[in-house]
Amino acid sequence: MTVKARVATFDPETTAIAGVVGGLGALTVLAFVTGVVNPSYVAGLFALAALVGVVTRQGPTMKVLLGLAALSTVLVLGLIMVYLFVKAWPVVERMGLDLLIKTDEPLWNTNADVYALTPMIWGTIVTTTIAVAVAGPLGIAGAVFISEMAPSWAREIIKPAVEVLAGIPSIVYGFLGFMVLNKFMMYELGVPQNGTLLIAGLVIGVMALPTVVSVAEDALAAVPEEMKSGSLALGSTDWQTTTDVTIPAALSGISAAVLLGVGRAVGETMAAVIILANVTEFPIPGFDVFDSTVSLTSLIASQYGNASGMHLSALFTAGVVLFVTVMLLSVGSQLIERHMEQKLGGNQ
Amino acid sequence: MSTDTVTGTLVRSESTTIERFGMALTALAALTVALAILGLFVVIPVSTTVAGIAVSTLLGTGLLAVGLGVVAAGIGSWVGPLETDPSRHGSPTDGVLVGCVWLATVGLVAAHTLGTALWPLLAIVGGGLAAAGATFFREDVGVPVVGGGFVAFAGAVLATGTVGPGWQFAPSGFSVTLTGTVGAPLIAFGGGLLGAWTAARVAGGFGARGRQNGAYALIGTNAVGMLSLLLALVGFIVSKGIGPATQGIRYGIYWQPQLWFEVPILDEYVIIHGPELWFHWPFVMNGYTQLSEAINGVLPAIVGTVWLVIGTVVFAVPLGIGAAVFLTEYAEQGRFTSLIEIATNGLWSTPSIVFGLFGLAFLVPRLGNTPSLLAGQLVLAFMLLPVVVITTREALLAVPDEYRDASAALGVTKWETIKSVVLPAAMPGIITGVILGVGRIAGETAPILLVLGSQPFPRTAPDIFSLTGGFPFVELNLVQPASALPYQLYAVISGGVGDDTAFAWGTAFVLLLVVLSFYAIGIASRAYFRRKLNQ
Repeated sequence: MTVKARVATFDPETTAIAGVVGGLGALTVLAFVTGVVNPSYVAGLFALAALVGVVTRQGPTMKVLLGLAALSTVLVLGLIMVYLFVKAWPVVERMGLDLLIKTDEPLWNTNADVYALTPMIWGTIVTTTIAVAVAGPLGIAGAVFISEMAPSWAREIIKPAVEVLAGIPSIVYGFLGFMVLNKFMMYELGVPQNGTLLIAGLVIGVMALPTVVSVAEDALAAVPEEMKSGSLALGSTDWQTTTDVTIPAALSGISAAVLLGVGRAVGETMAAVIILANVTEFPIPGFDVFDSTVSLTSLIASQYGNASGMHLSALFTAGVVLFVTVMLLSVGSQLIERHMEQKLGGNQ
Repeated sequence: MSTDTVTGTLVRSESTTIERFGMALTALAALTVALAILGLFVVIPVSTTVAGIAVSTLLGTGLLAVGLGVVAAGIGSWVGPLETDPSRHGSPTDGVLVGCVWLATVGLVAAHTLGTALWPLLAIVGGGLAAAGATFFREDVGVPVVGGGFVAFAGAVLATGTVGPGWQFAPSGFSVTLTGTVGAPLIAFGGGLLGAWTAARVAGGFGARGRQNGAYALIGTNAVGMLSLLLALVGFIVSKGIGPATQGIRYGIYWQPQLWFEVPILDEYVIIHGPELWFHWPFVMNGYTQLSEAINGVLPAIVGTVWLVIGTVVFAVPLGIGAAVFLTEYAEQGRFTSLIEIATNGLWSTPSIVFGLFGLAFLVPRLGNTPSLLAGQLVLAFMLLPVVVITTREALLAVPDEYRDASAALGVTKWETIKSVVLPAAMPGIITGVILGVGRIAGETAPILLVLGSQPFPRTAPDIFSLTGGFPFVELNLVQPASALPYQLYAVISGGVGDDTAFAWGTAFVLLLVVLSFYAIGIASRAYFRRKLNQ
């Protein structure tokens, strides 16, 4: 429908209520964001208008209020993007592209105001690769177990177990890694410092595992039963059906699951900041996973305390890099899931 | 025509020799894997001796037996006596798997034992030969010989003590020194897994059924591994933390004055005594003091967490339910709904520290320019919002359309239908989703790290309610710094655990208790509602 035709279908009463209530809501948000007028006054007017509407014309008013609630998600995401970029701009202006590709010293010097995110990006890449190497295969295998292999009593046990595994707070994982695994590496394996990228990657992998398991399991369960029955009717074994029919049909969903796992691994903060030593250098040599450097998330969590001015702005640039990366991964996995729904006919 | 002479038995009801042999080998391999894991985590170090023999030697002997058994089964199947159904060739996945294993082995041996600089070349040659052997020969010759051969080799290395207590390997470029205490269990673990895989294939009589057996053995091991990982994690924290957390609990029944009043005529007080239960749990009811005799507690953190959860739920749940209702009931599928879906998914996958940065940049300057409970509540509400929207959307979509149609047929308006028919039907799903979301929020540290910061070891809980002179008589002081359980744990760790490890374990235990009880309630309520609604 064209815009004009769509506008013609608007009910005048709802439009009026939308104008008043919606306008006051927008003014409240604007007042809170800009601080020109005390937001509580405008908020009071908004509450009054909404109350009057709910009492007199409940149907249209509720539709308007619910629409505002739906817009709030977009609003929050928009505010996050705007404020992150605004706060990060000073350092971006100062360092330019060096922020992402500088490899020669000095890399991170708060006194000289030199900020390069390359060691952090490398640390994030290393820990995320190890994490996905753990969470990817094991997660897909777990999803295959839950949806294809397990008898129902086993499914009732292991599905909540995976959810509880996802529920353990990240700081508890970091605490265990710090108290148990770091000491193990130092005493048994002679690692010279407290903390390694390898252990951080392993712990983050265990944390990303439940995400991969649940999303991949949803993808496998969405494959129509007829496809599997047809394959079995031709005389193939259950495992042949799984590898040659079910997994290829659910491949887009499984890739979406792995992408979401990668996103979770990239954004993991507390485990990384506790286990790593947060030294803003490259590991020497570059592939030494037993060195303890820093990742994008652990940089922010370890240096926020005494940061101000340019230093704080540099932390915001790290936040921007994280946000953009995870957003790309999330949008990518959504596109893949949409493709999968079209291919299989989806859930009705 | 008589049917008993034409048909044989279609289903074998007893196990054949090769099945029993294969299952015995698989069990032995599984035992080896379990013992290797115990050895890796130094629960039973591989240097301990059992009847004079080191555990690593036992592991090696077991692996050797498995490997030789698998090779024997393969040869037996090829030559004739054993009943199997092998394929003409191995599959490419078999080749890749054993090829990678032999590539790593030959490379390590060449680099470490032989010390030659040609180790990459030798590794590739070894891996290639193994892959070719597994793929191009008959399945019951290629895979057992190459795969079982590796298991036997690993077993021999461990059994002869070549890799055992006292062995050391410091690869160049990596700042680590691999010792026998860790190296032996690792080799036993890898060899045991490969042995279980090949032995399961033997038990299945090779062919398609054998491959299924092998794959199921590995996938089942993975599932058991995940379950035991969860039990080990929770059990370890409980065992270490329950002692410090429950230290010094006192309770008793005392005879206390319960009721008193003045008799006006006699001008005397009449006091009625009664029993009263007194209960003191120091870890949960005290703050952190510097006194040496007092037991330090986390009461301020618990109060902070409670207020954070209350505030988050108050802000996020109505907004989230409203957004989901609009998306599902009112809006048509189009660009607007796609936009909101993208925004919700984006919010859901945003890293938690980015929310903290946003709170620091946007909320803290506008809410009194100080870290505050209110800022923490708002930031956590932004994190909970997408969870509520997604679960409410699923719950609303699960309500059958018949409910809505029946209500419309009775002449009820759209909003009335939603209010009195759809929402109550979807409530169980919404409640479950909110509880699980709150469980996740209660354990989040990164966002509150930046917006909630109070002094790391507070002595008293924050004063939320205060009396005001006029209307409304009670004021809510949310704009003040506070602590929360995850923040408290982080403060203990980053402040240097030192000799206060007991306090740290106790805090971790209390935090885990709080979060897991949310999850337990959520999962139990979902199971209850599912059974009640027969979904």
